[in-house]
Amino acid sequence: MDQNQNTSSRESKEKRSEFFINDHIDILVEILKRLDGPSLGVAACVCRLWSSFARNDSVWEHLCFRHVSSPPPSSVKPVVVALGGYKKLYMVCLRPVLSRLSDSDMVRRVWTRHEVQLSLSLFCVDYYERSGRLGGGGGGDASASSLMFLCNTVNV
Amino acid sequence: MGPYGSTTCSGVSRSASSSSSSSVTKPPADIDGCLADAGYKVRSSDLRHVAQRLERLETVMVNSPGDLSHLASDAVLYNPSDLATWVDSLLTEFNHQPLISLPSDLDFSDGAVINNPAALPRETWTDNSSVIAAAPQQNHNQLTVVTAMEEDSGIRLVHLLVTCAESVQRGDLALAGSLIENMQALLTRVNTSCGIGKVAGYFIDALSRRIFSPQTVGSASGSVHENELLYHYFYEACPYLKFAHFTANQAILEAFDGHDCVHVIDFNLMHGLQWPALIQALALRPGGPPLLRLTGIGPPSPDGRDSLREIGLRLAELARSVNVGFAFRGVAASRLEDVKPWMLQVNPKEAVAVNSIMQLHRLLGSDTNRNSPIEMVLSWIRNLNPKIVAVVEQEADHNKPGFLDRFTEALYYYSNMFDSLEACAMQPEKALAEIYIQREICNVVCCEGAARVERHEPLDKWRTRLEQAGFRPLHLGSNAYKQASMLLTLFSAEGYRVEENQGCLTLGWHNRPLIAASGWQVMSMPEATTNQEAVGIINQNNNPNHI
Repeated sequence: MDQNQNTSSRESKEKRSEFFINDHIDILVEILKRLDGPSLGVAACVCRLWSSFARNDSVWEHLCFRHVSSPPPSSVKPVVVALGGYKKLYMVCLRPVLSRLSDSDMVRRVWTRHEVQLSLSLFCVDYYERSGRLGGGGGGDASASSLMFLCNTVNV
Repeated sequence: MGPYGSTTCSGVSRSASSSSSSSVTKPPADIDGCLADAGYKVRSSDLRHVAQRLERLETVMVNSPGDLSHLASDAVLYNPSDLATWVDSLLTEFNHQPLISLPSDLDFSDGAVINNPAALPRETWTDNSSVIAAAPQQNHNQLTVVTAMEEDSGIRLVHLLVTCAESVQRGDLALAGSLIENMQALLTRVNTSCGIGKVAGYFIDALSRRIFSPQTVGSASGSVHENELLYHYFYEACPYLKFAHFTANQAILEAFDGHDCVHVIDFNLMHGLQWPALIQALALRPGGPPLLRLTGIGPPSPDGRDSLREIGLRLAELARSVNVGFAFRGVAASRLEDVKPWMLQVNPKEAVAVNSIMQLHRLLGSDTNRNSPIEMVLSWIRNLNPKIVAVVEQEADHNKPGFLDRFTEALYYYSNMFDSLEACAMQPEKALAEIYIQREICNVVCCEGAARVERHEPLDKWRTRLEQAGFRPLHLGSNAYKQASMLLTLFSAEGYRVEENQGCLTLGWHNRPLIAASGWQVMSMPEATTNQEAVGIINQNNNPNHI
């Protein structure tokens, strides 16, 4: 009786230690795809493998359009990639825009097409301004970015 | 802090059915019932006075640079029946000057503290020059508090400004000059970092320029590079230009629906900030992007740099990244009326959009002769047969022939604009945006004749003018309205308002629209026109109005 219990507990311990999430990358990616922005940032600090996945732009693409009522057309991706990628879109644009526009928990709400379009437009203007600064073109000393107003605290 | 009037509850005839303890007696008829429940005895007639004092106290406490901790322990209200005097004593402690009770004939609507009397509807100004602080100020007030004395000074400043403008109109420059000195003295007693003090400062400066040194006025316009920079900071600091760009883009996008070759003519390219959003929207439109041509008109750069071409290159690079076929052409002209239609090289097969952000008013001459530049420009615009003409103009009447009328209009308009700018916290954006506005003010107040280019006219006048020139209005639609509302929400400053006005959109501060955006199409001609275009131009635009 005792021997049986010992072997079964040893077996279950071995079974438990055999499962290592990093061996199941498909599951890892599925989990990461469902995280919100701050959690993705934290996940990127866990280990190199997680970092490589969490920094992968496709995970951020899921985050950006997860709650859109209808999936975005396929033409959106090359535009976003050209303007700096989904992670940048999220950090610079979508996150402040959506937190500004909604008063409830941002994660659960559905984002309207108009909000996404406006965010993309603002993202594009920001890209244009950044390109001007790097090129040193007209107004090079203007450190202003047209998205800086999104950083202001909300007047209550 | 809403209007106190609406939260007053009547102390009279409160029924005893409330579940308070039996020891509470019904208050006498003139004591406010709500405050009485809290233990304070305030007469209903005094409520507004008390409310004003409390609001001022709050302003002082928020803005006071000193340590307020003594308030927590030292400020004890010993006599609840005299709330007003207690608040007065606290305020006096902060201000070191005696407060004067407000004269009853000055009507501050809703009892709110007014930072900028000139922004009120003019009916509430009273021409009461006897309202002057009785006690002289002991020390310069460092706090940003609008005390009764400051409010009086503010009203007095406005009164003096109007009087000075009137004497300028009459030609009495001696009186005007002495009034300027009075006002400059009065300015030292008013807080000039916000509110009426700041606006008055700019108008006093403009008036003194007009009176004392009219020959230097022309040089205040600044170099091309300076103007572009100031414009950029004005774009950052407040939403007016963003509203203009996004609304015009939406109208242009809708007008270009179904066309594969499109041509946008921008009457004032500046840094080209309007166009990235349109390029992106065209890149993502269902059915794929069209071939986009952009013709940017702008002043020639003095140092030989082709700034128009540089902007064009930046936009072309952006368009290339998002796979939109793009071609740019720059037209350098110091005045819009110098542009001739052949310079634009419009292809008859392409869909044309004309974009004018605050440019058409510069074409209005002061004399109403037949060949005024505006008519000439509007007629060649019409001959291009554009799918849309997007027009954004300041919503103000600054082109009246009489100087006094113009001056008071400008005072009212720019007070509202400066008020709205207070919401911006970014520096140096805010300071430079103010300089941008100040240049406009100088032009409206100081310049005459050809030098005065800021000849703003309200939307109704533009409607008449454009309809007479052969255009009909195009309704901007709900998408533009939604986008504008969302943009404002992002700006998170309470007070901006987007309104729809017969198919046009206006953006304003509280009740006052400050900028208006409208869309126009060529009216279809019933008979053949006598110009080089093909006979019998038919309006081919089948776009239904998006309402």
